[in-house]
Order: sequence, then structure tokens, then C-alpha cells
Amino acid sequence: MLRAFRGLLLCAAACGMLGLAATASAEELLPADRPIPAAVDHYIDALLTERGVKPADQASDSTVIRRITLDLAGRIPTAAEAKAYVESSDPNKRVQLVDRLLGLPEFALHQRNEMDQFLAGSDRMDAAWRDYLLAACQENRPWDVMFREMMLSEETKDSPGALGYLRSRAKDADRLTGDTSAIFFGVDITCAKCHDHPLVPDWLQDHYFGFQSFFSRTHLTKANFVAESDEGEVKFKTTSGETKSAQLMFLTGTVVSEPEPPKRSDEEKKKLKEELAKLDEQKLPHPAPEYSRRAALVELALQPGERDFFARAAVNRVWHRLFGWGLVNPIDQMHSGNPPTHPELLDWLARDFIEHGYDLKRLIRGLALSQAYSRSSLWLDGERPNQDLFAVANVKPLTPRQLGVSLELASRNQSVMPVAGDEKWQSFISGRESRAGRFTNWVEAPTNDFQVSVTEALYFSNNAEIVNEFLSSSNERLLSQLINTENREAALQTAAWNVLSRPLDQEELDLFQGYMAKREDRLPDAWQQVLWALVTSPEFRFNH
Amino acid sequence: MANRRANFCGSDDHRIHRRGFLGAAAVAGAFAANMGVLNVLRHPTLAAELKRQQKHVILLWLAGGPSQLETWDPKPGHDNGGPFRAIETNVPGVHISELLPKMAQRMHTTCLIRSLNTRIADHGGGAALMERGRRDEPTVQYPDLGAIIARELGRADSQVPDYVSMYTSTEGRRKGTSGFLGARYAPMFLDKELMPSNIRRLEQISDLDHQQRGELRQVLGERFARGRGSNSVDSHNGAYKRVRGLMASDKLFDVSLEPQKYRDAYGPTQFGEQVLVARRLIEAGVPFVKVARAWWDSHGQNFETHLELVTELDHVMSTLLDDLQARGLLEHTLVITLGEFGRTPRINPSLGRDHFASAWSASLTGCGIQGGAVWGKTSPDGVSVADGEVGAGELFATIFQALGIDHKKDYYLGSRPIPLTNPGTEPIRDVLA
Repeated sequence: MLRAFRGLLLCAAACGMLGLAATASAEELLPADRPIPAAVDHYIDALLTERGVKPADQASDSTVIRRITLDLAGRIPTAAEAKAYVESSDPNKRVQLVDRLLGLPEFALHQRNEMDQFLAGSDRMDAAWRDYLLAACQENRPWDVMFREMMLSEETKDSPGALGYLRSRAKDADRLTGDTSAIFFGVDITCAKCHDHPLVPDWLQDHYFGFQSFFSRTHLTKANFVAESDEGEVKFKTTSGETKSAQLMFLTGTVVSEPEPPKRSDEEKKKLKEELAKLDEQKLPHPAPEYSRRAALVELALQPGERDFFARAAVNRVWHRLFGWGLVNPIDQMHSGNPPTHPELLDWLARDFIEHGYDLKRLIRGLALSQAYSRSSLWLDGERPNQDLFAVANVKPLTPRQLGVSLELASRNQSVMPVAGDEKWQSFISGRESRAGRFTNWVEAPTNDFQVSVTEALYFSNNAEIVNEFLSSSNERLLSQLINTENREAALQTAAWNVLSRPLDQEELDLFQGYMAKREDRLPDAWQQVLWALVTSPEFRFNH
Repeated sequence: MANRRANFCGSDDHRIHRRGFLGAAAVAGAFAANMGVLNVLRHPTLAAELKRQQKHVILLWLAGGPSQLETWDPKPGHDNGGPFRAIETNVPGVHISELLPKMAQRMHTTCLIRSLNTRIADHGGGAALMERGRRDEPTVQYPDLGAIIARELGRADSQVPDYVSMYTSTEGRRKGTSGFLGARYAPMFLDKELMPSNIRRLEQISDLDHQQRGELRQVLGERFARGRGSNSVDSHNGAYKRVRGLMASDKLFDVSLEPQKYRDAYGPTQFGEQVLVARRLIEAGVPFVKVARAWWDSHGQNFETHLELVTELDHVMSTLLDDLQARGLLEHTLVITLGEFGRTPRINPSLGRDHFASAWSASLTGCGIQGGAVWGKTSPDGVSVADGEVGAGELFATIFQALGIDHKKDYYLGSRPIPLTNPGTEPIRDVLA
């Protein structure tokens, strides 16, 4: 690593600083020792006061436990968890809930799935990649360490899972450049490829090709190993037609100087080529270069003065995941032309994130304990405040896996199921979680402006799996429990706690009672239809 | 410029129909203004007329990459030409491969683009480009052609699907993507069988219970949506509202309901049946149908592969065009043949042709297109474009313009305007009617 860093020169002044909107200086921010939730609420409330907006009330306990459990554990709470939370009068119950969820095996599973989604998207990845992510999430590995591992792990015969990110992109330098800037640094610089960026005056083609240069020597060998050569430059044509050689330039404008590439005689070149061909034939990886441009990027990007891109992108992404809307939107447009709504808050959180070793769990915990996070999503009177004020909670679609695991729990006879957190729970819930992967066939992953497809609605409406598996009358399913409960109202409430994590109100009870009353001749069918209506309701489909 | 458009049949057919179209559209407009009084769709002749005027696209996707030399751009007499001859067509001066004798007699309906240079010659990248007309950005997933057509030509409350996608054999299995337009415009994808998944009610629930269960769900859905201010929640309720209508369209997918003479005409092959279903679908108002025929990837035995696949394409495509013409649908339906790329002019030692994206062909027939037109030219050896080079963007702009869709129209991703084709892209005006 040190060797790779040799010869680094900073010339920010010469190139001009760019990118980040003016960051507040440390003394203007709240003290660093404030708890995260206090800082969040301080800054969010300050803007609400300034705009004269009164935020929505705090959500009910049943909504809060459902929201937190979905966000942290990737599933709905069991009926027992929800009831216990609602009934508890312990003033500390929210902190206890969050800490308990962060310790459950589902936290790491869900964290892994979220990472897999934004790192790999729809690429087909191997098991080693998902295993790598899971192991990292289980030990809450710091985000900067994971970044290093994904960028710099040594390629071996067994193709380490951490290299999955590079492996799926190494064939396409443009994609590797664009994805890495967007995913790890929160900026999509691809517009600057063909011309200086139209919206961001401080992004030039030099930045695009400068950033690409860090990856220009990375490639996939014939035997599908990630490799990096020790020579090769990026040349590009400017809009004025001039051909330029790109410098190794980070997004901040900082330029790295590197040692001269090795000078090889024709003889040596030929020999090297033959050696590499031999390795390909033997299905072995190529040796790492003496000087790695990728390593230079990782070193530079995590340096004080440079690392704000990295930290702010991660903080904004986690914020977006929990709040359904970023402090900067879109989350890959974190540049000076698109400032955050709460700049000091983003700065404070980024500083906290860096000072506490890029600890994602700590950040998630802090956000989930804020008052801003636990507001109601209902806004009945007057115009709904803009979502970037965080005055009222955003409704978030469940991911296919969240929906799959939640449907599994919702449709269970929970009296014959392992208790959440018990010894049998881990294998039960990881089994359910892995089965839930099939939902990606029918259910779209959340996006901005998410829409539900008719494919999903048709699946829930007519696929045999829904009625024969989840809504079947076998002993392990909720339907059998409902059919065998004498008191119809009690059965309806059981169903509601299972599926919606709350009791029904009178109007809803009347609605379902009326539906049942018309089907006295076929009650098992009627129960199945009531359950179907509950699990296909948007209240179940979304995290609200 | 003139030599690019080698020939044009000179037919006035489409012009007459265009006038007819405008006239009827004006009538429809007048009625639409009085919708409260008169339901246009209940007026039988007018409803039929409106249906006929709706525009459609059938995309015959030739998965794996067909050889331009064995289809639309033969090179007889050159080493690269291969064993098949070029034949005359009913458009003077235009020659195509002898494997397409039926299309040769229908060349006056079809325009050829012979000068595609799309640069990407791997299957995944090439298909993504030719499905979407441009490359994705890291965080902008572009919708494919079907999704854009569904959005532009479909109706929000449509009772039929607006984008249907089918394929033969697993290599052709690419689902398609609605990208940033969202799942509302995602294809109804026919996997495994010639019937969309989950479109039929299970026997164990009666039709009445199925309907009333849906109504119960709707009450819950509307209660929840109130006060949430969420388009996503509304789309959930919207998707469930379309379920019953879509289920009623299952008959469109049932070829056994088609008179035997049409089934015979299209032929008993899977591709033939799928194209017949495509015709049934567009006739019922579906704006976009993609039928993917696989697998054209002839790295070895190129000529055997093309003998089989081109002969089938010739038969099915010409049957489709005749059928559409006879039903008065061809003027409103654009039929496209396209793959992810073409194939190398040089014949490899396995008598195959490899991936080649530098100089290849596509065809456009019907709506908005000048039949008989030929755009662009490749070099005598077929290795490069000699004249009229176009890329995926130009092809897509041409398709949009042919359908009356402004190719410069903006969609918005947040506040960022995203035009239908990248800025600076122009359609091939010479092939537009």
C-alpha cells in the first residue's frame, strides 16, 4: 500500500477545487459529542421552524415498530414483537428495540441485501460475492475497509468474493468509471465524458478522464481474473478537437503523479506477453503491478481533505434508505449545482461517520432513534409539505426480499413458529430470507418514483403459490388458526396483528364482518379471501 | 445524398391512407368534445375506425445477430459473399438474398437500412444498445423501445396489455426493461408458454369471489392511500385495478381461436404462432409486441443456420405483412426486423460468421415508412459503411418519427430533462413517408 502511494503529489491549487458545495467549518457545527439523533433533530427542526412548517405528529407505536423492524431487520415484526412494544410503558423501549434489532441475524442479512442492490444492481453475481458481503455485515466491517477490499483485494485462484464489484465491470472502463464515481462518491460524472458537464460548471472532461485513468489499466484476463497492467494511458479528444493525455485526477481536482511506467525492450514485451498467456492457459491470475493506479485512488480518496466525497455519499445513501429521500437528491448528484437541503447536518453526520471509523451500524442506529425518523406518514389537512423538509414520513416500497420474508411471517400461524431471537430463530429466518429471493421474479426493486407492475398484481391475484403456500390451510399457516378460532372478531384481530402489526378499527371490523357474513356457506374460502385482501393491501406492501 | 435512397416504389398508397387518417381523427376529435353526450367507443363504426387508427409496433427481434449478407445486404461475387445468390426484388435495382424470395416480392412495402455502425459487438452490450437506442448511464437506466411505445401510444386505463414480449428458445430470453419509466410500462413477458403468467383465474376461486375479493382489497387500498401523497401507493392500487381487464385479454393469446386458414398461413412453428398472436394483440389495441426469434449466433455453420432461419423469417414476415395489409392495419403498424448486431463479412474457418457491429442492416415496414426505400451502402467487401452511416440513435429517431412521436420530446427524471433520443440525433428523413 505504501509503495503504491509513493510519489503522490497534490496540486489542487493548480487545478481548481471542485465538486462539493461549500462545507461549513468545524466551529460552526454542533459539537461532535452530541448524540446523532439530537443533531438530526436539531437541524431538521431548525429548517422547519425557519419555513414555518409544523411537522406531523410522531407515528403510533405500532407504526414505529413496523417501520424500524423493516428498515433494520428487513422484515415486519411478529405479532408478539409488535404487541409487546405497543403494550410496554418503558420510556426506554425505542432504544431497546433498535439495539435488539441491530443484534439479530436479520440485520446483517438485510444490510447485505441492501449493499448487494446498490453495488451489483441487476448483475448476476456469484455466491462468493454475497457471502463476502454477509460476512462483512455480520462483523459490521467499516465502510472504508470494505471499499479497500472491493478495490484492492489480491486476486487468487479462488477469485475472492470482494472482487465481485470489479469483476462484473472490468470489461467496461466507462461503466467502471461511472459506477464507481456514482456509488462510492455520490457523483455521476459521465456527462463530463463527451463535453464539460452542462450543469456543473466545475466538472470538465479532465475530471472524467482523470478519474477514468485510475481504472484504465484494470481489466479482466482471459481466465476471468481481475488484473491491472503497469502501463497504458488515457487519451481523449476535447470538444475543440484537441487530443489530450489524461492526468490521474480525483474528483476534487487533486492530481497524482506516478512513477514512469517500466521501459521494456521488444524482447521483454514479448516475454511478458508469453508469461501472461501461460497464466491464462493455466487459469491463474496475473501478478499485481509494481505501481497500482487503483491503490493510488483508494489512498487518495480516503485522505483528509479528499475523503468528504466518500463519507458524504455513504451518509446520504443511508439517510435515503431510512427516510425515503436523501439530504441530496438524486443521491448520485452530490455536486455544487445540487446542494443539500440541510448542509450542516450532512457535514455533521459525515464528520461523525469519519471520526467513528466509518461505522455504518452506528449511523443507522443514530438515524433510527431520531424524532424526524419516526413521524407519521399521514398528512390529511392542507398541502403536504415538500418531502425534503422531512416534516412527514415518506412511504417506502418494500424490496422484493423484504416483501417475501414479510409475507412469510404474516401468513404464518405464529403460535407454532420459532420466537424471534430464540435459538431456533436464526436458521428459521435465514431459510425464509433465502427463499424470498424468488420474489425478484415478480416484484420490482424500489427506485425513485417507484411503480408497482401488473406482473406483481397478477402474481398475487392468480399464482397458485400464493394460495397454496402462503394462504393454505396447513397447520403452520395463519389460515388454519383463523378457521379454528371460534370468535370471529378475535380471529380478525389476530389476522390484523399478523399482517399489519396493529389491531383493526371498528370501520374495518365492520367491513370484514360484512364480507364474512355473505359467505357463511364457505367460511374457509372467505377467510382466505380476507387474508388475501390484507396481504395485497398497500399498507402491507409499503413501509409507511 | 440521392444515391443513398436507391429506389422508391412511388406508390401513393400510404399518402391516401394518411389523408383518411387525418379526416377520421378530426371526426373523432369532434365526438370526443361531446363525450358526455355520446360515448365514442359505443359508436360501432367510429370505434372500429379509431381502433384502426391506433398505431402499433411489431418488433421481430433476431436474437444473436443475423447476417446482413444472407438477408438484406448480399455481396454476390465477392469472397465474403458466401454461397447464396442475390435476387431481384419488385423494387427495381434493389437486390436481397435469395433466401428471402417472398419478401423480394413485397419489397415495395419495406425500407432497408444498410448502414448501421453501432460499435458494440458483444451480445449483452449490443442487445442493450439496440433495445434502448443508447447506452445506459451508471444511474440512468433507459427504457427500451417497447416501454417508450407503451408510454407514448398506450392508454393509461387500457384493458389490454400495452407491451408484450415473447421469445423462442432460451437464448432469446431477454425480458426487456422499462428503465426510468417505471414498472407501469414493463413488458408483459411470456415465459415458458404462449400465455402470460398468472393471467388465468385459479379454479379454486369462483369468478364472483375473485372479483369481490378484489373490491375488498380496493377499499383497504383507498383508505390507506388517503393522506399519504404517494404516487407509488397509487400505482399499487392502479396495478390491481387493471388485473380483471388483463385477465379478460387471455383469449388474445389463444391461437386455437384463430381460423385454421390463418394458422396454416403462418405455419405450425413456434415463431409463426407467436407472430400470429402478435397480430391478434395489435388488432385488439396492444401498442407494442416483441417476438424474439433465436438463435442467429452462427460462429460455425453460418449458411446452414441462415438457410433455416431466414427461410422461416421470409415466410412468417411476408405472411404477417399480407395479413396486416388485408386488415387495413399495415398503414398503422410498423414492423421492424432488428438484432443486436450483424455478422462479419469474412467467413471464418468453421464456415461461420462472427459478431460484427460496424456495417449491418435492419428493416422497417408499414406505418410512416416509405416502402421500397434503401438507406445507406456498405463497401463492396461489406467490411465498412461506404455511405449514410447511422447508429442506434438515428434508427430510433426514425422509428419515433415514423410513428408520429417527436424524437426530441423530453421525459423528466427529477428535474433533469431526458430527450427521447440523445441531443443532436436526427431521424433518417429520406425513408419517412
